[in-house]
Amino acid sequence: MIRFLTIMSSRWTRLVLVMLIVLSLQTTLFAELRPFGVAAQVVLLFVIVSGSINGVAIGSITGLIAGLMYDFILPTPVGLASLAMGLAGATAGLLLYFFHEPTWWMRLITVAIVSILGEIYFPLAQAIVGFDGWLQPRIFKVAIVVAACNLILAPLAIVVCRWTLAERKLSI
Amino acid sequence: MAAAQSTRRRAIILLVLTSIILITLDLQNSSATSGLRSVFGVIFRPVESTTRVVTRPISNAWFGIFNYNDVLDENERLREKVAQQEGATVAAAASVRLAQELLALNGLPTLAGINAVTAQVIGDSPTNFSQTIEINQGSQSGIRVGMPVLNAAGLVGKITKVYGDRSVVMLITDPDFALSIKVVNSPRQTTTTTIAKSNAAVPSPVVPIEPDASLEGDASTTTTTTTTTTTIAGFTPSVTTLPATPSGVSSITVPLASDLAIRETGVIEGRGPSRQPTVRFISNAVRFGDIQAGVPIVTAGGSRSLSPPDILVGTVSRVVERLGSAGPVLEIEPVADLTNLSFLRVLLYQPITEKATP
Repeated sequence: MIRFLTIMSSRWTRLVLVMLIVLSLQTTLFAELRPFGVAAQVVLLFVIVSGSINGVAIGSITGLIAGLMYDFILPTPVGLASLAMGLAGATAGLLLYFFHEPTWWMRLITVAIVSILGEIYFPLAQAIVGFDGWLQPRIFKVAIVVAACNLILAPLAIVVCRWTLAERKLSI
Repeated sequence: MAAAQSTRRRAIILLVLTSIILITLDLQNSSATSGLRSVFGVIFRPVESTTRVVTRPISNAWFGIFNYNDVLDENERLREKVAQQEGATVAAAASVRLAQELLALNGLPTLAGINAVTAQVIGDSPTNFSQTIEINQGSQSGIRVGMPVLNAAGLVGKITKVYGDRSVVMLITDPDFALSIKVVNSPRQTTTTTIAKSNAAVPSPVVPIEPDASLEGDASTTTTTTTTTTTIAGFTPSVTTLPATPSGVSSITVPLASDLAIRETGVIEGRGPSRQPTVRFISNAVRFGDIQAGVPIVTAGGSRSLSPPDILVGTVSRVVERLGSAGPVLEIEPVADLTNLSFLRVLLYQPITEKATP
């Protein structure tokens, strides 16, 4: 029983549950509201923020889990989004590698830059496995709009991500 | 420091290996990955439905703020278009019925003979790198992977994933979409030869017929008339019969064989949302002639095609000529407005080669 409660209260269980909500927002609200014809990527934002707060290891594992969940609802092969998101999380985690205590604006710059990179990783991974029709000039417009949307949503994502991935001790 | 570095390395190795294994398994059509997808779908759908209900007011407010003027303009345009097309629709419906009767009489497949399921669009693609939509009908309604999806205008896409009560439709603009099609070309000029005779015997068409002096003063008179008319691209011009001469002679009109629509097959391929789909592998035959913008593109059909013949796909918007024997590449303007889909029709059609043997 204690073991079960420990698992249920772990940050990874919390991450899966929060990701279910984030993913449902992605497939409903953010799939419909398309500024400049581009869908904002809140799953990617969550992964980037987790990397920029917790470092490369947590960022890449969060990316792997979030990407895997995203993979299950996408028509593309399972594993592509995991790879792209995991790499995005790891890239964002490099912020802590270079700056141990980054300021808020450093974090925002990281979110913007890694959003652009993360949005390019996915079609790149698609091209590697043979779905090569998406590497077009449009990708830059998509990446810039996604980065702008992520910048706007980043403060909220940081709060949610801190709560989700916080280590808490189970007290019974 | 060393421990942190080792953790980082292990996390990245775990990420890369897991992803590669999953991609390999899924590309091999592993039942494990499709099973996981189904299980996740069962868990995720209720959460998604709840979120859709909760966020509906937000999206309505968004569309109200940013799209209100566009919707008003579009509404006005559509009203005008509907008024224009009301008359044409009646004539078109009669023509379609006639064509279907003719096809049925000759034992040829028609769209009217194929069962269809009406479905509503319930979701767009959440990513920017996939041109798919989700509809609210699935395998319980008889839908299978590969079936063509249409709206009132024409072909929209094909089914790529089927669940119990929903399916995923790949739009014709997706770079992974490919389908065999026919380009229905027709000459710009229509030439008809009219032969008028006073006797009851059926004359054999002679084209062209030079006026013969020996026939002058004879009871039988032959007249050659050449008319040039503007035709609707892709449609065989209707045969017109000139009225009988005052002397009571009957007349028939014989269309030239070269005036009939010529069909050439090719493959339509999507190129993403910002670019129009293209048609390739059109042969560079002289008989086929020059392809003009506006020429219709319809599905080719056949025992191996996933779609029945003669579903309208779009019209040619640009012809890119290529050097040598390579045929032209055609850019296609889809007839269906893919940005604004609500109700669709899934044709429950499977080619003979796809049907499971009993």
